[in-house]
Amino acid sequence: MIGPRWKKLLRDLQAAQGRMLMMVLAIAVGVFSVGTILSAYTILTREISNNYLGTNPASALLEVEPGVDDALLAEAGGRSGIEAVEASSTVVARVEVSPNQWMPLLLFVIKDFDTMHINKFNPESGEWPPAEGHILIEREALSLTNTEVGNAINVETPNGSKQEVVISGLVHDPGLAPAWQEQTVYGYITPATLAMLDGSSDLHILKVIVEDQSSVQAIEAPVSELAAWLKSQGYAVHEVRIPPPQKHPHQTQMVAILTMMLIFSLMALVLSAILTATMIGGLLAQQVRQIGVMKAVGARSRQIAGIYLALVALIGSAAVVLGLPPSLAAGRGLAGLVAQLLNFTLYSTDIPGWVYLVQFLAGVLVPFLIALGPIFKTTRVTVREAINDFGTSKETFGSRRLDSWLGKIQGLDSTLMLALRNTFRRRGRLLLTLSLLSVAGGIFLAALNVKTAWEQNLADAAADRRYDLEIRLNSPAPKEKVLSAIGDVPGIQQVEAWNYEPAAKYRPDGLDIVRTYPDGGHGSFTLRSLPPETEMVRLTILEGRWLQSGDTDGVVLNHMARALFPNVKVGDQIQLMLDGKEVDLQVVGIARELVTPATAYVLPEKFAEVTGTIEQVNGIRIVMNKHDAVTRSNVAGEVERALEANGMNVKVSILETMLDAAVSGHVYILIVMLIVMSVLIAIVGALGLVSSMGTSVIERTREFGIMRSIGARSNTVLWNVISEGIFIGLMSWVIAVAMSLPLSLSIGRLIGNLAFRFPLPLILSPSAVVIWLAIIVIGSIAASAYPARNASRLTIRETLVYV
Amino acid sequence: MFTQVANPIKEAILPASSSRLIELRGVTKAYEVASGQFLALKGIDMQVDAGEFVAVVGKSGSGKSTLINVITGIDDASSGEVLVASTVVSKLDQEQLSIWRGKSVGVVFQFFQLLPTLTVAENVILPMDFCNTYPVRERRERAISLLEKVGIAEQADKLPAHLSGGQQQRAAIARALANDPPILVADEPTGNLDTQTSEDVMRLFSKLVEEGKTVVMVTHERDFSRYFTRTIMLADGQVVS
Ligand SMILES: Nc1ncnc2c1ncn2[C@@H]1O[C@H](COP(=O)(O)OP(=O)(O)OP(=O)(O)O)[C@@H](O)[C@H]1O
Ligand SMILES: [Mg+2]
Repeated sequence: MIGPRWKKLLRDLQAAQGRMLMMVLAIAVGVFSVGTILSAYTILTREISNNYLGTNPASALLEVEPGVDDALLAEAGGRSGIEAVEASSTVVARVEVSPNQWMPLLLFVIKDFDTMHINKFNPESGEWPPAEGHILIEREALSLTNTEVGNAINVETPNGSKQEVVISGLVHDPGLAPAWQEQTVYGYITPATLAMLDGSSDLHILKVIVEDQSSVQAIEAPVSELAAWLKSQGYAVHEVRIPPPQKHPHQTQMVAILTMMLIFSLMALVLSAILTATMIGGLLAQQVRQIGVMKAVGARSRQIAGIYLALVALIGSAAVVLGLPPSLAAGRGLAGLVAQLLNFTLYSTDIPGWVYLVQFLAGVLVPFLIALGPIFKTTRVTVREAINDFGTSKETFGSRRLDSWLGKIQGLDSTLMLALRNTFRRRGRLLLTLSLLSVAGGIFLAALNVKTAWEQNLADAAADRRYDLEIRLNSPAPKEKVLSAIGDVPGIQQVEAWNYEPAAKYRPDGLDIVRTYPDGGHGSFTLRSLPPETEMVRLTILEGRWLQSGDTDGVVLNHMARALFPNVKVGDQIQLMLDGKEVDLQVVGIARELVTPATAYVLPEKFAEVTGTIEQVNGIRIVMNKHDAVTRSNVAGEVERALEANGMNVKVSILETMLDAAVSGHVYILIVMLIVMSVLIAIVGALGLVSSMGTSVIERTREFGIMRSIGARSNTVLWNVISEGIFIGLMSWVIAVAMSLPLSLSIGRLIGNLAFRFPLPLILSPSAVVIWLAIIVIGSIAASAYPARNASRLTIRETLVYV
Repeated sequence: MFTQVANPIKEAILPASSSRLIELRGVTKAYEVASGQFLALKGIDMQVDAGEFVAVVGKSGSGKSTLINVITGIDDASSGEVLVASTVVSKLDQEQLSIWRGKSVGVVFQFFQLLPTLTVAENVILPMDFCNTYPVRERRERAISLLEKVGIAEQADKLPAHLSGGQQQRAAIARALANDPPILVADEPTGNLDTQTSEDVMRLFSKLVEEGKTVVMVTHERDFSRYFTRTIMLADGQVVS
């Protein structure tokens, strides 16, 4: 037989079904969001590294001249600290994706598809290995080519002419950032096909796996030894790439986003716990007298607290039961979505046991801890206080300065006046409701503020770039020749030379070690020349100034480049390596350049001097007369044709439109998730308002009876409650707006630094502020009108017996 | 005098007569009000012996409820000594008070104060549950026999809302008897009942006194004097007779 106090608990549960359900729902939302993110987080971090490590990513890639042959491989593989080596080649080519429109094509040349063991990829469908003249395409890249497996594509390599190759199958390469995000097609061919396309079948890249891959430093030691040895054997080592070990190119980004989501979901959980505490507080307020009676017949505070804590634990458990299973499904779904976006395969969607445990603790323990305070406070009241409680015991109107101030307000509508006073009567509840709504609003606004700031950052990045097309040539050509070749192309407003040369931080051993991934984009560092008077970029200067003519040794670093030189300041000397040569430069400025890899900018004279290419050009930027996508791609096609007609091979042409697409690809997930999160939080907030207004009305039902018995009409009562609801809502709105600012700032700092290496700007999104205002006002009206209408419908007699 | 001092609750005064159940010495009670202090009790000395049925009477505001609350420990005295059932009430903290009260004093309120979501029998079991007095299996049996004693055994499994006022007050008395306390304290237990029902309830108290309980009761009704063994009259926080 269970004791009567537990029967009381069960019957109270039954009696307040609606409110209990709301509490369960609110916590379930919290548990659900925490569970979803945590499940996705654990699956994704595990699978991304499984996928990536499954490719057996190279510790380092060495670009060696002349090519890597079997004898070299055998010898290099036997050197100390080296575990495995393999020869390959990566060629930056181009593919025609629609008539006259070309897209970068990264060709990976594989000697033996069946025995490759470094940077592996998996057959997906079709031929394996590809025959001569055939190409395999990365599965996510196929859609970029606008064609199907079995069709031919037009490919152009740096040293060859345009030739057709047949797509004979698909592969899945989990080691690369997804093609659509990078706006680059990935193709896989044999050396024979390379010979057909590019004239030579030499493989120039030596892939290395070292024994100790624990850090970049650990990798650098044996690799630089290997490079020195190669040099001593008469090879030229152009570049050594050591990407961040064991890490997918987008891993940091993904973890950052998931971490932020986790923070938000925890906030949602805390909110729902606060809501539960509020509602338990309301329940306690109603039961103060019963508590007093129980104490009068011998109950100790602890025993009574036990009853209510058990109630909270029960509610929490129900919420876990409700929220946990769908969160696992949602987490798996989210993981699937992200995996698809990042192009990796989920080999397992197992969720570790501790996630279940955390969810259980979060759903039961968090509300429990938050409810402890109000429960112990109420159960400690003395019997006399409890027995005398008529719902207005301590915090009676008239006791504080604010009240006397409110009492002095003149000329307000008397209903409104009453609403104002009522609002402040139950100070404890007001505080809880206010904090709940404010926190909900704060997070909602912060989420949208961050979204706006993110978009603003991208817009800024786009606005910083004031050109339509960038073209990079395979090899430098005389400036005059380039200019005259494209001089006749219609639609061009302006052309500038923006030469480029891969660079690295100087090392005393003369090695050119960079942090670049095999795709050549992620983590790269480039030296570029620019006309000092250029209008084609307008970057925000963070320190120092922009380049001026006369800055002979001057360099401007973008913020990504600055990160390569810790503590570098304006005026400092820095040393770069350019094709094995040391270059000394003096920093004159540091500029913010969003969504652009690390770049150091120098004057054309300096660039010519260090590269030995006087009056030559290998990169140009073009401003067109019109900036729409069609014009851009037409003009780009014309320019390329003109260059090719004059014997100049285009390496890549980057349209501003493509850059936009690439960048949007990176942020797509983030924005969707932010919005989902803020909606969940808004739901918790709304539940809070409903419950708080409901409690407030129940408590004052008797008062309504009295008001009506002295002549107030139902509408007056109704309006009284609604004004109170709106008033609380508006107060919370003001607080929420204020609170969202520091919140947005810190979240913006976190994800800005991770994604852009630069904090996001603090922006208060006006539309978010207005949307939240609307939600609050409409929500307050709805939340207060429903219970108030019910109360105003009771007969006076009914209301007066209400306890 | 002092037989033992090990129990701090029982130290200090022990009653002169072993039958002395309640003893107040110079008890005052001050309330903080806007204009300063208000003395609701101004130096009360009184004793109640076992087996007495004492009425506390007086005008509204004379301090009757305050006095009774001081005896049950629901209120604490500002000064003076309160000794009930060989315990110095004024020295107990809230937790000790609850335990002590549950076992030593049965409290009956004017508005019955039954818990609305529990049946009558469950209301009666509640004090046994909280004070863990009788074996779990015997509790219901005991509750039913108490309800028989107050004459509403057939209402045992109803909710309080379905009982008349008199029945509710009987149930409340049964609940006050749950842990078999020597003392019952009631503040206007008939204040909400009609004359006939009030008489029934008074007879019930009378019967309990005959069975050995000691009852202290606040009342407004003058007609009940025949039930009482003694009447204490309060005026302005002082005992006048
Ligand atoms: N919490 C309190 N704060 C201030 N004054 C109080 C408080 N409780 C009681 N009083 C005052 O103490 C005095 C005695 O109150 P008490 O309730 O004991 O009167 P009573 O004799 O029981 O009256 P009634 O017959 O109306 O129940 C009254 O003047 C009352 O106003
Ligand atoms: Mg009284």
